[in-house]
Amino acid sequence: MLTFDGFKAGMRRMAGVALFGVPFGIAFGAAAVEAGMSMAGIVAMSALVYAGAAQFAMLQLWHTPLPLLSIAFVVLAVNARHLIFGAALARLLNALPRRQRLLSAYLLSDANFADMQAARQSGSKDLGILVGGGFVMWLSWNATTALGAFIGGTEKDMARFGIDVAMAAFFVTVIAAPARRVSNLLPMGVAALVSVATLSLLPHGWNIIAGALAGGIAGGVISRDGRER
Amino acid sequence: MAVNADLAPWIAIAVAGAVTFGTLAPVIMARVPETKRVQQFLDSLSTSVIVAIVAGYLARGTLREAAALAAGALAMMLLRMPMLSMAVAMAVAAAWSGFQP
Repeated sequence: MLTFDGFKAGMRRMAGVALFGVPFGIAFGAAAVEAGMSMAGIVAMSALVYAGAAQFAMLQLWHTPLPLLSIAFVVLAVNARHLIFGAALARLLNALPRRQRLLSAYLLSDANFADMQAARQSGSKDLGILVGGGFVMWLSWNATTALGAFIGGTEKDMARFGIDVAMAAFFVTVIAAPARRVSNLLPMGVAALVSVATLSLLPHGWNIIAGALAGGIAGGVISRDGRER
Repeated sequence: MAVNADLAPWIAIAVAGAVTFGTLAPVIMARVPETKRVQQFLDSLSTSVIVAIVAGYLARGTLREAAALAAGALAMMLLRMPMLSMAVAMAVAAAWSGFQP
């Protein structure tokens, strides 16, 4: 299900988080100019790629001649967690018509996925919340990266105001609710352990996938004991 | 692999966009039977992926990030207000940076 009411609700829910994302966008725009990207390139990249972490990672490889294969691999690695997001939302996504499914996939990001999780915990099945939230984040990301390309800014400024921890702090608020249920603690613990243990063993970002899968399997295994649910 | 210097940035952006967009997971999941076990796996998966992101972030960070997120988690447990909890976490991080420049 994907409704316009859900879309509006998603926009409202994520407006505050999008505000906290403003410094990230400005920092990316400034860093991209520093890396030698053109203004048009920065705008096009934010609009098309729309994935902050992957875009920052791309800048590390942004030197002539551009290593296209390495860029493709790094972006895949950094964004591979979206496969897990897709799997987690699969039941809802597959019920949508193709055009809405593509729109949901395009606007999917960590923050609106996390917000959709919070919405599902309170019983909602309306992917309009995901799309509306993603749209607000998309608008903000595009406006602020362009702004950053004009004015510049530094990582030091972000640390001074604690802005660098904003996104992780938002994720913590989302996992606080499931953490209250004892049956969730084992999968969550397994996920955290595996994510940290594989951090230095796997390519950038894949520890998240390893942790998520391990946590998912742990949850699936326990469900045999908790069949009354 | 390298190509013409004028065209390369645009190809790189297009490649990155295509890779980001190309998630096949829902298509694959359409072929998996819907049992209670699978449902439980997906429920745990969706929480675990966020836990894994936060755990990896903490492992790469310093005591400052750990203190900030612990304060944020405590605030969320006590007050159940997401925006306020985020503000608490950010305030702790900012204060930490202020005292240890």
